[in-house]
Amino acid sequence: MGRSKRELPARLATIGALLMSPRLRSALRFQESGLLLVILALATFLTLFSGRVAMPVFETGPDGTRQRVFTTDAAGDRVPQSIEKNKFLNAQNLAQLAKDTSFIAIMAVGMSIVIIAGGIDLSVGGIYALASVVGALVLHHYGPSGPAGSGPPLPGIALGTMAAVGTAALCGLVNGGLIVTLRVHPFIITLGAMAMLRGIAFVISKGQSIGGFPPAFRGLIRYEVGNSLSIVPLAVMLLVTIAGSIFLGRLAAGRRVYATGGNELAARFSGIQVGRVKLSVYLLSGLTAGIAALLSIGYYGAGSSGDGQGYELNVIAAAVVGGASLTGGKGSALGAVLGALVIQMISSGIVILGIDQNYSQIIIGAVVIAAVVLDNFNTWLASRRLAGRFSRR
Amino acid sequence: MRVSFLACVAIGLVLGTTKPSPAAEKKSYTFGMIAKSQGNQFFEAARSGANAASRELGSKYGITIKIDWRTPNEEDAQKQADYIEQMVLAGVDGIIISSSDANKLNDAINRADAGGIPVLTFSGDAPASKRFLALGIDDFECGKQTFIELAKLLKGKGIVAAIDGNPNAANLQQRAGGFRSAAKAYPGIKLLDIYYHKETPQDAVAKIEQVMQAHPEITGWGLLGGWPLFTEKALNWPPGSILCVAVDGLPPELAYVRSKHVQLLLSQDAYGYGYNSVARMIERIHLKKKVPGPIENTPLTPVTLQNVDAFAKNWDKWLAK
Repeated sequence: MGRSKRELPARLATIGALLMSPRLRSALRFQESGLLLVILALATFLTLFSGRVAMPVFETGPDGTRQRVFTTDAAGDRVPQSIEKNKFLNAQNLAQLAKDTSFIAIMAVGMSIVIIAGGIDLSVGGIYALASVVGALVLHHYGPSGPAGSGPPLPGIALGTMAAVGTAALCGLVNGGLIVTLRVHPFIITLGAMAMLRGIAFVISKGQSIGGFPPAFRGLIRYEVGNSLSIVPLAVMLLVTIAGSIFLGRLAAGRRVYATGGNELAARFSGIQVGRVKLSVYLLSGLTAGIAALLSIGYYGAGSSGDGQGYELNVIAAAVVGGASLTGGKGSALGAVLGALVIQMISSGIVILGIDQNYSQIIIGAVVIAAVVLDNFNTWLASRRLAGRFSRR
Repeated sequence: MRVSFLACVAIGLVLGTTKPSPAAEKKSYTFGMIAKSQGNQFFEAARSGANAASRELGSKYGITIKIDWRTPNEEDAQKQADYIEQMVLAGVDGIIISSSDANKLNDAINRADAGGIPVLTFSGDAPASKRFLALGIDDFECGKQTFIELAKLLKGKGIVAAIDGNPNAANLQQRAGGFRSAAKAYPGIKLLDIYYHKETPQDAVAKIEQVMQAHPEITGWGLLGGWPLFTEKALNWPPGSILCVAVDGLPPELAYVRSKHVQLLLSQDAYGYGYNSVARMIERIHLKKKVPGPIENTPLTPVTLQNVDAFAKNWDKWLAK
């Protein structure tokens, strides 16, 4: 205890030196720094005002299962042991926050790409539901109570994964194909698709919730490290963000997305096959909805046609808060993920702070607007700095 | 400015270190309560019951009981599971939930139980989970009773249809199953179908109107959820020309009994679900009693023209502000 007290000033000094470093200060000038500041402000606020919580202590028993640790009190009774932690700033809560963010964030990366290209995809909730149901049906077939339950789990997991992700990608491709060939506004096509896909999901699932997946699949998605921290949704979210960032920032295909969204006519005249770009962005949007659906059924253990109800608005909100411009040509994968994180932090923060739920929608709406305004202000400041630098030259 | 701001974050990080908690006798309890959807008077009555139990039992035992209400705007089992996990981390003492999709909630409930946080379900069970108690009705029997009462009113002859809400909800599927099952015993009554609709009054009314346009020969309706009756003038037929039995007895539904559009309501004890949920939690956690379970079903209360006014007085208490 004494040692940790002596270490405190040293820890603060190290953190202070890190914050003062020119490298970090220059890194904070990147496009999403405004959002990052909002996230840090929220994190600080929640850390300082969330209070403390007694969390149960677990240990791994001789049979490998997690068991609560008990102590004996003065009266000789067994008392479950607990550790007091900050309600927001503890590993379990941060892992929970990352998990809760991941499903919307993954879809928001795909949605951002669509929005950057000047489109919109209202069908992501429907795609999510259909991919959940198709994946769940295949995985149930290979589950303990399914007809192929006695076989090895790996083929079932592979087929279930392909079914969920493949179905979603196919839905995205069909959306894109219809938008390009029929030349109908994406709002109309994806609005129709939203209802149709959920309807198909209902018909093939007969309105039932489908569970009973191979335990190996559940174990894989719910894989935990340390003190029961689920890291798979977080890891997949990071991978999708990196892939989205590389696609948009480093590949010619990504630059064509910006060009199409920025000025479709100019992009067409400069030789970009706009139809192909549009096809690809809806395919990617479908793909990310499929990945999110697969993670969801693995984590929660069931899929139904009611899944993802209203998620399209959450996903669009995350992308827009993340800096995607609804007029096209602007946005990023990282911004979409940070946007989703801001919304989820507010939502989780309301639970942590014990704020009456009746006020939650007001708070979320206000903070979403504030986040966008702050981000715009930061972008304006950055552009002024840039203009000042050029004028000095 | 950024640096000083980030320094605050650093201080926050340092403050987030851990320390062991002293063991002390609990004087206050927080119960998380998760209903299926917001803005539904059924769940508002349950919430009101939970709050009343908190006040009464708190005063009786000299403790403080707080109800932390977290409910998705629309039915969303994934969000319910997230709420359970978040509430566990926020340190609640027990969780009361009306499950939208049991399959999706089993893991979250089991995890809460493993962390020493008891979970109780009401009007929407998760039977495969480790919840210690499920309060509700036997939904299959409720569906059966709805048909049987309708058949009695029709004197064993007629053409009937039914509407049901969320087709994914297990309890509503059970009611539909009971309704169909009972219909087999009445050869003089033809069951057209059970029609599902989005759980809003407008969608429910629209569904009834569509069905009536297509099948004007219908002589009886079974409303397995009361959604169409949450609006005024939903039933566009002369009172008594088509006979109707509906589940639940929420305030807007009572007007249809008075107008003789609905002959019988089968009311669940929504207020009692909330009250008894908190009472059972206190019995288990504070009084350290063994709560009998895991199922505690309550009977349906029939509401007819004869007792509708007396029944309506309950709602003054059940929806008290």
